[in-house]
Amino acid sequence: MNKISIPIGPHHPLLKEPLSMIIDISGERVLGGALRLGYVHRGIEKMATQRTYVQDVHLIERICGICSHVHTTTFCLAVESLLGIEVPPRGQYIRALMCELERVHSHLLWLGILAKNVGLDTVFMHAWHDRELALDMMEGISGGRVSHAANQIGGVRFDLSTQQEEMISINLVKLKQQVSGVLDVIENEPALLARTQGVAPVSAEMIKDYCVVGPVARASGVDVDMRRDDPWPPYDQLDVNVIVLPEGDAWARTLIRVLETRESLRLCESIMQQMPDGPVAERAKRKVPEGEVITRSEAPRGEVFYYLRSDGSDKPARLKVRTPTLPVLSLLPVQLSAIHVADIPVVLAGIDLCVACADR
Amino acid sequence: MFRGIFYLLFFPGLAFQVVCGLAFEWMDRKLLARFQRRVGPPWYQPLADMIKLFSKEDLLPEGASGVVEMLLPLLSMSAVLTAGLYIPIAGFTSFSFEGDLIVIQFLMSVPTLAYYLAGMASVGIYSFLGGGRSILQYLSYEVPLLITISGPAVMAGSWSVAQISQSQVSMGPFIIFQPLGFILATVGLIGKLKRDPLDIPSASSEVVGGSLTEFSGAKLGFWYLVMNIQAVVGIFLLVNLYFGWSNVALPDVAIGVFILECLLMVAILSAVSAVFARLRIDQLAGLGWKILVPLSLVQLGFVILMGV
Amino acid sequence: MRRRHSLFHAIIDALVSRPDTVGYPFAELDLPESYRGAIVIDADNCTGCGLCVRDCPTGALKLEKKSRDEFKLIHYPARCAYCSQCENSCVRGAIGHSNALVGATDRPRELVVVLKEKNENTD
Repeated sequence: MNKISIPIGPHHPLLKEPLSMIIDISGERVLGGALRLGYVHRGIEKMATQRTYVQDVHLIERICGICSHVHTTTFCLAVESLLGIEVPPRGQYIRALMCELERVHSHLLWLGILAKNVGLDTVFMHAWHDRELALDMMEGISGGRVSHAANQIGGVRFDLSTQQEEMISINLVKLKQQVSGVLDVIENEPALLARTQGVAPVSAEMIKDYCVVGPVARASGVDVDMRRDDPWPPYDQLDVNVIVLPEGDAWARTLIRVLETRESLRLCESIMQQMPDGPVAERAKRKVPEGEVITRSEAPRGEVFYYLRSDGSDKPARLKVRTPTLPVLSLLPVQLSAIHVADIPVVLAGIDLCVACADR
Repeated sequence: MFRGIFYLLFFPGLAFQVVCGLAFEWMDRKLLARFQRRVGPPWYQPLADMIKLFSKEDLLPEGASGVVEMLLPLLSMSAVLTAGLYIPIAGFTSFSFEGDLIVIQFLMSVPTLAYYLAGMASVGIYSFLGGGRSILQYLSYEVPLLITISGPAVMAGSWSVAQISQSQVSMGPFIIFQPLGFILATVGLIGKLKRDPLDIPSASSEVVGGSLTEFSGAKLGFWYLVMNIQAVVGIFLLVNLYFGWSNVALPDVAIGVFILECLLMVAILSAVSAVFARLRIDQLAGLGWKILVPLSLVQLGFVILMGV
Repeated sequence: MRRRHSLFHAIIDALVSRPDTVGYPFAELDLPESYRGAIVIDADNCTGCGLCVRDCPTGALKLEKKSRDEFKLIHYPARCAYCSQCENSCVRGAIGHSNALVGATDRPRELVVVLKEKNENTD
């Protein structure tokens, strides 16, 4: 059979965001692929140097819609460390609560995408129905479903009233119950097992060669999680279970996100139990003293890494954002050799694309 | 002669089957939406879609043959409409002869061939892949379907659908004797209609639209009509082969019972579509030849032994 | 086998419950209190200091100052990111969000909203 090249993207029903892949196939076997990025590049790092720190918080939120809160949190942590101020404990806990809720909503979103790629549209709809509950919780406390605008330099922008705390506790129980149904189906559905087991295995050496982080790395046996390895408060007071699976195929990548969703819901409950009282923010000066700082945190897709250098004015001198989706995308052409054409959607879903994060 | 024209154009010919096809599409989409916690389209949606498609501009890529692309859906439509003429509707037969079951099976395979040719006639790569997959799928489900459908024919002692339906008055509905055959025939029907979980040729997440990626306007409208009418004819066929007795035994309520049986088939097809994931083409080939063919041979052997 | 029933039970359960979608605009939309909707201003409290204009990340607010006592505060809803930074920056609490949904419009006049205008004739 001769070789033909099919283009996937930039416009394709499979992709949420534009990404171009040229895949060589022969019959039903995939021989390899080439990748082109940059369709969503907006020049965020350059724009950040032209705006003040206060305005940059909102700019950074729009790097990615799914993990927006983690990006702003890491940026605010960097600026706060340069300013030398510390967020009050209640603010830290609210930040962690939003981070974990965001992880839950991101994994449920990913679950729907995997089900849709495999042909199980019903599970897609049901998973996103449960995700609405998480988004409603976030909207109830912050004011926005996707663009939360929860952070400011020095803390968070809103406080939780007792009614809101009760609402969150009740809804967490409801969410846990609803989510357990969908997760049980995913763990035991034979059609899903048949389509993902043994597909595109990735070894731990390849993970380390390509510097991949996040659930993809943990599904191949590499034990790395910023919530435990480099925690910012309150994660050092919370007990985070890091889940690692050794197989490294698409099924392991599926199962690990299922288990992480359950773990995040448990963490949300601990956060609500341990939430202290007090103020939620501290006043921050507009001009940041000279210096440079590195901060990291664990986004739903892996480790997010920020480098910030300031020159004493109220605008940053250099901001560098390193998102977890870029190394995973460079692993994609390697994963695409020696699989079937019908496995391409499964592989693409397993790496949990977020091209907006990768392109910035 | 006027009677013949009436049968051809109105009932059970063109107008009746088109209306049933649109009704089927609405019921299927509404049920699927309700299974997924959505509202679903209103009752006039399939009709509105047809009108919209027929009024759209017809784009023809360079290198594709417009004549071939127009002929293929028209030929498929005439094939399935003709197949529908031989099937009794609630006991009412218009054209029927000995051996029309074989003719119906042949005519219902014409759209599959046309789908493949449409993929080859188009220029893009997705159509080529979709067309190739449709032939692979055809080879996997057609053989067990043919063997299974022979079951009711052997039991009734005739190859005419009207006779098979009639003989169930005295013998009882064949689904009681051949439940396995009913399941296998439903699986074959799902494969023929290219529905989830066997919609491999037009899997939107891999090959954007399958063979029909580059069709637009009236040609695409005709293709959708073909798929709907094929579904309706398939449902009528299965209802007559396996539930036939009620059609003639109680003539007053025959129409109501027939409608109920058809609705049951629609519900089964929609539920299966909602619950199962799409198979891979090699998994389908394995399923077809390793499971479906042996089971259908077992069912046929059982029927023959019972007759002896 | 129990798990297969689980998805089957889920679809039967979905069939008998109300659908999730809201039939907007024919049905009521129920937005929470804290939803960041259209910008509203408490005109008596606004002194035209310009802190909100300085901190707006998109340039959706503009202050035209003719003299010390004459100014005009303009808001462009199409440029607004609905981030509530203006609400946080205002020291008098004059500007903020209501929870009214800002819809699309085909009238260009609605794209420029004058929030407060103070000149020699008014107080």
